[in-house]
Amino acid sequence: MARIVIDQVRKSYGALHVLKDFSLDIADGEFVVLVGPSGCGKSTMLKILAGLEEASGGTIRIGGRDVTDLAPGDRDIAMVFQNYALYPHLTVAANMGFGLKMRGTPADVITRRVQEAARILDVEHLLERRPRQLSGGQRQRVALGRAIVREPAAFLMDEPLSNLDAKLRVHMRAEIGALHQRLGVTTIYVTHDQIEAMTMANRIVIMKDGEIQQIADPETMFERPANLFVAGFIGSPGMNFLSARAQGGTTRLFGEAVPVPPGADGDVTIGLRPEHIEAGPGAVTFMARPSLVESLGSEKYIYFEAPDDNRPPGFLKQSEEDQRGSRLIARLVNAGPVRIGENVTLSFDPARLHVFDPATGKAIR
Amino acid sequence: MRQSLPARLFLYASVVLTCAVLIFPIYWLVVTALSQPDQLRQLPPKFWPDEPRWSVFGKILEERPIFLWLGNSALAALGAVTISMVVSVLAGYSLSRFRVRGGQSLGLFILTAKMLPATLLVIPLFGIFRMTGLIGSMWSIILAHATLIIPFTTWMLKGYFDTIPRELEQAAMVDGCSPLGALFRVILPVSAPGLAATALYGFVLSWSDYAYARTFLTNAQGNWTANLGITTMKGEYISNWADISAASILVALPILVVYLFLERYLVGGLTAGSDK
Repeated sequence: MARIVIDQVRKSYGALHVLKDFSLDIADGEFVVLVGPSGCGKSTMLKILAGLEEASGGTIRIGGRDVTDLAPGDRDIAMVFQNYALYPHLTVAANMGFGLKMRGTPADVITRRVQEAARILDVEHLLERRPRQLSGGQRQRVALGRAIVREPAAFLMDEPLSNLDAKLRVHMRAEIGALHQRLGVTTIYVTHDQIEAMTMANRIVIMKDGEIQQIADPETMFERPANLFVAGFIGSPGMNFLSARAQGGTTRLFGEAVPVPPGADGDVTIGLRPEHIEAGPGAVTFMARPSLVESLGSEKYIYFEAPDDNRPPGFLKQSEEDQRGSRLIARLVNAGPVRIGENVTLSFDPARLHVFDPATGKAIR
Repeated sequence: MRQSLPARLFLYASVVLTCAVLIFPIYWLVVTALSQPDQLRQLPPKFWPDEPRWSVFGKILEERPIFLWLGNSALAALGAVTISMVVSVLAGYSLSRFRVRGGQSLGLFILTAKMLPATLLVIPLFGIFRMTGLIGSMWSIILAHATLIIPFTTWMLKGYFDTIPRELEQAAMVDGCSPLGALFRVILPVSAPGLAATALYGFVLSWSDYAYARTFLTNAQGNWTANLGITTMKGEYISNWADISAASILVALPILVVYLFLERYLVGGLTAGSDK
């Protein structure tokens, strides 16, 4: 177990900067998730941390030791890869014990520790098999076993669940969480899946274009996003965005006067999460005509057009990740029957609104 | 999916025809070896001799130093393949994994060397071996064959290494291996089928060489390879094709043995299960 301090780490390929002054202080035993879209630099950061890629600048300290220029094997870390990277020519037991063998650990100690890790992960019956004889979930367990058997200072996990089917992913997510609780080893976990980030992390680091957008615990990340990107990235379905003009601490949404923070003045982008829209009248009430209703049993997703005065900003309409265009989404729980084309009364609490500066994207509080 | 009867008939007919085309020369070699010399040119030809001369093999082994020639061929092939594999493994791995300035051009240069006919190198190699005093020694043929084999095997192995996930050696390095340690402890064992196929290919290239052996070993009778030895059985006025065919069968056998030995590696899918 160890504290990890990443200080102004940079990575450039010529003029292309894939990581820009990345700094992060990870406490001993913390579970930190790096999350962001493809190409945001999260996997590069993890590889630099592992020593598999060289940083263009900055320093990394693990357990108080400067490891910036050390080989991967000398950093006292273990890594779990997206594609498991099990050695196909070795048995499960040999795979798990490989790292210890490389470090000259006596055979009886290796056997004992492999047995122990296998018991924790429930793979004792698989020890003599080869990786090709295992299912995806079993391979993932063995990959985790190979990491924990070394008893390293930190675990690095690079999208370890993305090759599993949805059901197994949920199961393994819980298992990794339980394993972290049990072992208390500092863990840095990379994913593009915000649900994994929200459910597993003590702290989330959201990245975009090689830069940290926000570092916060999952609740803060959801409740107080630092900017438009974070607001749109966290939450499923994503946050609704509306254009408005604020003056003297108020703005107009759906034709109603709505209070906004005093710092908001002029053009603003308002964010409202789908789950913060409720069926029936409330603090701010409006009518909506659903163009699509998706029923998930206990909840419904209602799609409706934003009013002309509050059409979402153009750049958000063009977003690849959000194909909803100018439509808004409300996530209603136990709302009763809602039909396409028939007006429905909706409302929201203005305290739930998020206000952003459309020029900088930063939150206004 | 179940195929229709005509489609299946066509498929089987194609397989039988292909096999026939491939097997016929071998069959005819055996027929020639077992026939009486005076029956070889008779018309219509006999598709199996009336009295097969099985004793021809014993006679050849008695009259000609076949084992010496085979030993020399094996020595040349093993030497050339060993040198080639050491060079090609390191070169192929580097070309596959490291992005260095000029690396791509170097790879293309090796590819170009592959396109040159072997005979083009005979004269410069002869000059080099004469200067170094290697003409007539087994080293001349080993080194010459290595120049022939290395471009092929380097590209074959580069292609094979390209298919192995990089995460395997990254995992090995995190587990404490040096880059070279990861190559030897993880990548090479995983590459066994590729290495076997490449080595076999190099072995066959060396084994089937005639031009280099003829040029560099003609005056060193004790170092003759099998191919060179067999051609000396062809006289200026009389050629005993039956004996030559029998010797050719004996010379082809080791390749078959090597193939049978490596066959399980050639068809093995050892990397299955390493990743998704």
